[in-house]
Amino acid sequence: MFLRRYGTFTGGIDLPDEKNDTISAPIEPWEPIESLRIPLAPFGKIVAEPIVKALDKVTAGQKIAAAVDDSGIDIFSPLSGKVAGLTVASVPVGDSFVESTAIELTHLSKPAGITPVREKFLWLDADTHTICERIAAGALTTHRQPVMLLTDWISKARRTSYTTLIANVMENQPYVTANHRLLAEHGVEVIRGLAILGKAIGADDIVLVVDQRRTGDYLELVGPAQRYGVNLTALVHKYPTGADEILTKVLTRQELPPESDAMDAGVALIDASTCFAVYRWVACEIPPTGRVVTLSGENCERKGNFWIPFGVNCGELFPSKNGQLPIHGGPMTGLRCSSDSVITTSTDAVLALETDHAAAPSPCIRCGWCRDHCPARLNVAELNDAFELGLIEHARKASVMACVECGVCSYVCPARLPLAKRTKQLKRVIKALEKRIPLFTKS
Amino acid sequence: MNTETQKNEAEPKNIGNEKLPQLEMPFVRAPERVRTIFLVILFVACGPLAAGIVIFGWRALVVAIISVISCTTIEKLYYRITRTPALLGRSHAWLTGVLLALTLPAYVPWYIPLIASAFAIIVGKAIFGGVGHFLWQPALLGRLVVTVIFPATLTTPFANFNNAAPVLAQNKIILGDIKAAKHVEDYRQWHRIHPGSVADAFIVTRPKAILAGLTSSEEPVYSGLNMPADIPRAKSAVLKKLPPINDLIYGVRPGSIGETCAIMIIVAGLYLVYRNYVKWQLPMAFVVSTWIMLAIVPIKLAGPNNTIEVTWFPLWSQGLAAGFTYVNYQLLSSELLLAAFFMAPEMTSRPVTTGGQVLFGIGCGVAGTLFQLYLALPIAFYMAVLVMNTFTPAIESMWHPRVLGKRRFEWVFKHT
Repeated sequence: MFLRRYGTFTGGIDLPDEKNDTISAPIEPWEPIESLRIPLAPFGKIVAEPIVKALDKVTAGQKIAAAVDDSGIDIFSPLSGKVAGLTVASVPVGDSFVESTAIELTHLSKPAGITPVREKFLWLDADTHTICERIAAGALTTHRQPVMLLTDWISKARRTSYTTLIANVMENQPYVTANHRLLAEHGVEVIRGLAILGKAIGADDIVLVVDQRRTGDYLELVGPAQRYGVNLTALVHKYPTGADEILTKVLTRQELPPESDAMDAGVALIDASTCFAVYRWVACEIPPTGRVVTLSGENCERKGNFWIPFGVNCGELFPSKNGQLPIHGGPMTGLRCSSDSVITTSTDAVLALETDHAAAPSPCIRCGWCRDHCPARLNVAELNDAFELGLIEHARKASVMACVECGVCSYVCPARLPLAKRTKQLKRVIKALEKRIPLFTKS
Repeated sequence: MNTETQKNEAEPKNIGNEKLPQLEMPFVRAPERVRTIFLVILFVACGPLAAGIVIFGWRALVVAIISVISCTTIEKLYYRITRTPALLGRSHAWLTGVLLALTLPAYVPWYIPLIASAFAIIVGKAIFGGVGHFLWQPALLGRLVVTVIFPATLTTPFANFNNAAPVLAQNKIILGDIKAAKHVEDYRQWHRIHPGSVADAFIVTRPKAILAGLTSSEEPVYSGLNMPADIPRAKSAVLKKLPPINDLIYGVRPGSIGETCAIMIIVAGLYLVYRNYVKWQLPMAFVVSTWIMLAIVPIKLAGPNNTIEVTWFPLWSQGLAAGFTYVNYQLLSSELLLAAFFMAPEMTSRPVTTGGQVLFGIGCGVAGTLFQLYLALPIAFYMAVLVMNTFTPAIESMWHPRVLGKRRFEWVFKHT
């Protein structure tokens, strides 16, 4: 396997992996499913309006909600069943769960999982325009935070003249193995989807980044990767190599200035799950109705990687134990589920972890480990002082906006201070002030 | 415990009507806690303490016990009297007690560790707000205060012998009484001395004092790195009057309990570096800058006809052999190593950034050398650490590492 070795970055940490339970578990369809609540606002605003009525019968793959306007998306039913009516579901948007209107389906059929299908569309010979139109016709969104419409993502990526498309399958976070299993089992489809996206945005370089330790599982991807012009790259396992800013730095040797988007620097980042969904829709005309989710954690009884339709309640996946709700996403950057949160496109893992709430934070002893491990080389102890004293201008001068929000500072803090949360809140406050106060100029 | 912090967490800051969400991330945490850090440093500091007990006898253990117990009790009493919640339990008080014991000589009367602990805990730590807030290393502050109040008791325990302090005899280690010391004529080395002697300890001139003779005018004729030309076969004084270097490495020289055994301090310090509780840059900058300063700064040497010459670059001005010996003896005969590995890297009172720590270490080395050579302070390197602790906030605000995505040295232009 011809793998190019790249550099690394200062800071970061070698997290305990905790993936042994799920790393070799094949993808299975999740069952049984009692009910589905399919959100009509998967990224915060309403994008579709229902075209089915209560007590209607729907079949798998049937369109149940149509786009409200040009920026909306169609929504398809993952399984056949019966419409129970409109309800509410919580979807993750940014740093919190937002309530959204949802269509509730009951009396569901048995989920089929990932069925092999034949290609119906010759995408390799198609031109960019046709592929973009095809992507726009489906209800495709990116499967990573921030969740956005894939057409928006493509038009954003096309703005720069030279584009590197990076598919990020690093999966640094403990417990999460969904993208790894997808690449190991359906790697060829993922690479084809990546090639389709590369055509759509006119990428000059297409890179698939994997973890150095997992390369043995991807050996059969070498041929297809060469066929479709994808560079396979293995990077060393160090958290947070998977963060956008760090991956851009390691692969393209350019550091993104604070508050800038990787897209503006000509780097488009995507993950394996999106590529898979793109391939299934563009080539096989199967609408995106589910994704691979890792279920794991200490309190999880049924660990593994499952193909779960969108709209399954996260609480339904685990028998409720000691009243703690599961965690949506990886343990470093994830969110605590609310009681009605559902599986959406950006859910790569749902974890039932034993979190220690009794440990109260103690004062900072200035050990400096947060600064040593910060991939952005921020003096987090100084930012913590700024937070405690309310010195927002001081925090801005200390470049708090360069934070990549990886959570390493909180992880290593021996005083159990919520440093990542405080830094995020400082960023939020500074952004709000910059919006409101015109003279609070950008640093 | 720590109600203030919890109250802050309960009320998120809101800007206008935009509510900031309560984030819990990350959901996994590294196992090490503040208490673990303090207890491991405490455990490691017991290494030099054990060496001190072997070399200076049971009185060293008594000093350590008094110091630890009084630190713990005084901290508890302080927080009870002022009705403030104790911060971080007792582990840091134990650590302060042991570190304080390391800096005190073994022959001090019982009230000196008590007074030193009182100052260390109350002035050094509690009035600043406890662990995480103090400016000066508390143990060093306690040591400084007792040095100022009881100068004679600490520096000249035996009134007749200036600049001398006791060391246990080789056959009386651990169990010997260090106060029952005897003067020995022409003491050469700890090994093989006076097999018929019945005394528990010997009064030995401090190597630091012998070396100080090189830089002062007390004994100009015999104190040069080289001898005047009219004493033809004289060896240089460094080699002639000082004990063998083994005595300094194993720590059988007069000094405080923990500061003498160089090899033990280095091993313990390297373990702290391995555990990432001490960054190697700080002790390295400290020791190397001291070494370079000693190699450069001028000392007074005996010239021909009983004159005194001020000579720069003592490392090579009299030949490298004498120069290296002089510099290495200077390093090993002071409290430098203990200050570099245990006192200067005290987490709260040193800068956080690596560059800041290097600056801090260099400052400690330079100031300590100057204090030792020209001010003849009894605790020169401890004083240097305290002085640099004062400048820690200045170094913190002065030195900023380059942040991801910013230009190098952007802070130079931004912060002016």
